[in-house]
Amino acid sequence: MEEKKLGLPSVISTGVGLIVATSCLMSLGQGTGILGTGFIISMILACFINICTALCMAELNAVMPNLTGGLAQYTLAGIGPFVTIVTMVGGYIVCQSIAGSVECAMFGNAINTVFDTGIPSSVFCIFLLVVLITANLLGVDMFAKIQNVVAYGLIISLVIMGILGAFGLGTGQKVEQATNLAGSFSDCFALLGLAFFLFIGCEFVIPISVNVKNERKNVPLGMVLSLLIILGMQIVVVIGMGHYTRFEDLAQSPSPHILYGNALLGYIGSLWMILVSIFAVISTVNSAISFLSYMCAGMAKINLMPSIFLKKNKRGAYYVGVLMIGAVMILINATGLSTSDSLSFMILVAIVFWMVSYVIADINVLIFRHRLPKAPRTFKVPFGPVIPVIAVVGNLFMIWNIDGDPAVRNLIFMIDGMIFLALAIYAVLWCKLKLKRPMFRPIPVHEVMAMENSLYLVAHKKIRKYKSENMCKGTNSQAEKGEVC
Amino acid sequence: MGFSKVEVVTSMNKLDNLKTALSKLGVSGITVVQAIGCGVQKGTFEYEAEQNAEMELLPKQLIIIVVEDEIVEKVIETIKKELYTGHIGDGKIFVTPLSNVIRVRTGEEGTEALK
Repeated sequence: MEEKKLGLPSVISTGVGLIVATSCLMSLGQGTGILGTGFIISMILACFINICTALCMAELNAVMPNLTGGLAQYTLAGIGPFVTIVTMVGGYIVCQSIAGSVECAMFGNAINTVFDTGIPSSVFCIFLLVVLITANLLGVDMFAKIQNVVAYGLIISLVIMGILGAFGLGTGQKVEQATNLAGSFSDCFALLGLAFFLFIGCEFVIPISVNVKNERKNVPLGMVLSLLIILGMQIVVVIGMGHYTRFEDLAQSPSPHILYGNALLGYIGSLWMILVSIFAVISTVNSAISFLSYMCAGMAKINLMPSIFLKKNKRGAYYVGVLMIGAVMILINATGLSTSDSLSFMILVAIVFWMVSYVIADINVLIFRHRLPKAPRTFKVPFGPVIPVIAVVGNLFMIWNIDGDPAVRNLIFMIDGMIFLALAIYAVLWCKLKLKRPMFRPIPVHEVMAMENSLYLVAHKKIRKYKSENMCKGTNSQAEKGEVC
Repeated sequence: MGFSKVEVVTSMNKLDNLKTALSKLGVSGITVVQAIGCGVQKGTFEYEAEQNAEMELLPKQLIIIVVEDEIVEKVIETIKKELYTGHIGDGKIFVTPLSNVIRVRTGEEGTEALK
């Protein structure tokens, strides 16, 4: 039996490392630039809603432990294939592709902010993507190995810079300005979407739960503590930014962390931040491409996506997924994604999908409570349905307040609506023609669990083939009469 | 005070964690028997598309515990949580009332024989 080694500190460090990405600094800078320290209220609210969702995820993991597909498999057993395909398979993959593209755009922006090369940022992004796609196809895992190191490098850098700024210890000149720009709570609500982006991704902790000591206690606790630590860290950075950078400059900057580094410590600060963030972007985008190709393969394994995504090349890479995700990211970056406005707009478009998948996950908890009330749960969210309901309402509220400007909000809803519509058409066709199951009938938990087995698809394909062959034999007389089998 | 016999039929690889959890509850003895058997799935593997027509017997273990009625619910809850994976084959728990327990070496009966 494999020995479990990871304790609570490892869960927390993994959680923090997975949640913090360079693109979070974009939304942190934007939010602080617009509301000043008022953005802290938005961050606290978003963090609270994320904690509620994290607890729900932990309960779902207790009902259906150790699944690779995670949210998709919970939804398949909770609500059925249609919603799973639209929100989890399509929505999640679309969202991650957009988020990965934004992360990639930060790479080009970071280079141009410091070196002013005159070359469009998107050229650097596309070059980086080509390198990372090739690395993934060749099975080079160098970038994945340095992921934790660079993630922690980014976090430690932010903590140091935040503390230096918050206590006025930087070498740069301090700025005199009003610290709070929020006039009312509605101003804070308007930036909940940007704040939400700072805390997404705690569900990525769940796959490691199998290796965690006393996982029923340490996984939920680790997820909650990760979110609280990130909140604390980012509050310090917001305060520090307020001391050293003008809010209007922060709001306009496509690389606010480099702007802040420069204002705090001069050119050294810029170089420090660019070095850390470039490595962080490379490892994050690399793992996004790899993760999404595995996710497509996982979805193909449970028969929700074409089986072509299961094809591997000689190096063991799911090359169809890698090429598809890479192409989508190149396409998005080729549109010239570089200004702070376009980046934050893309972030908002992407996170609506993420919020919808969180809403569905929270609803799944309530469905399983109703359908499997006696199933033993190693972790159960306390206070009955209160926390899942708060999480659902909170996420819906954040979707509704995705942007303060009604025109921008409508545009976001229109783009997301069109993507959801395309996914819905795919889902209907897939359920009717390929899956051949009722769209809204949940698949029993034990069958979804069985789908984890690599032999499931093989065994079910064989039996389908056998049945169709027998049907043909049985209807030979019809065939003789001219009817096609 | 009454006693209950708790018999658990489960797959072969789930004993270690269960032993640890039961020890924490103060369960003082356990008997494990290697067995073969099947449940309602007739021994069909969970990934298979069609159920076996005839019963296929698979390796299992039968775990026997005797506990006081006072803690039987707690013991059952612990067993359920430890054995649960959501997969077919997690097992079944059978609980039966017991009239007495006797320790042969000393002749002690009832609660004394369990301590």
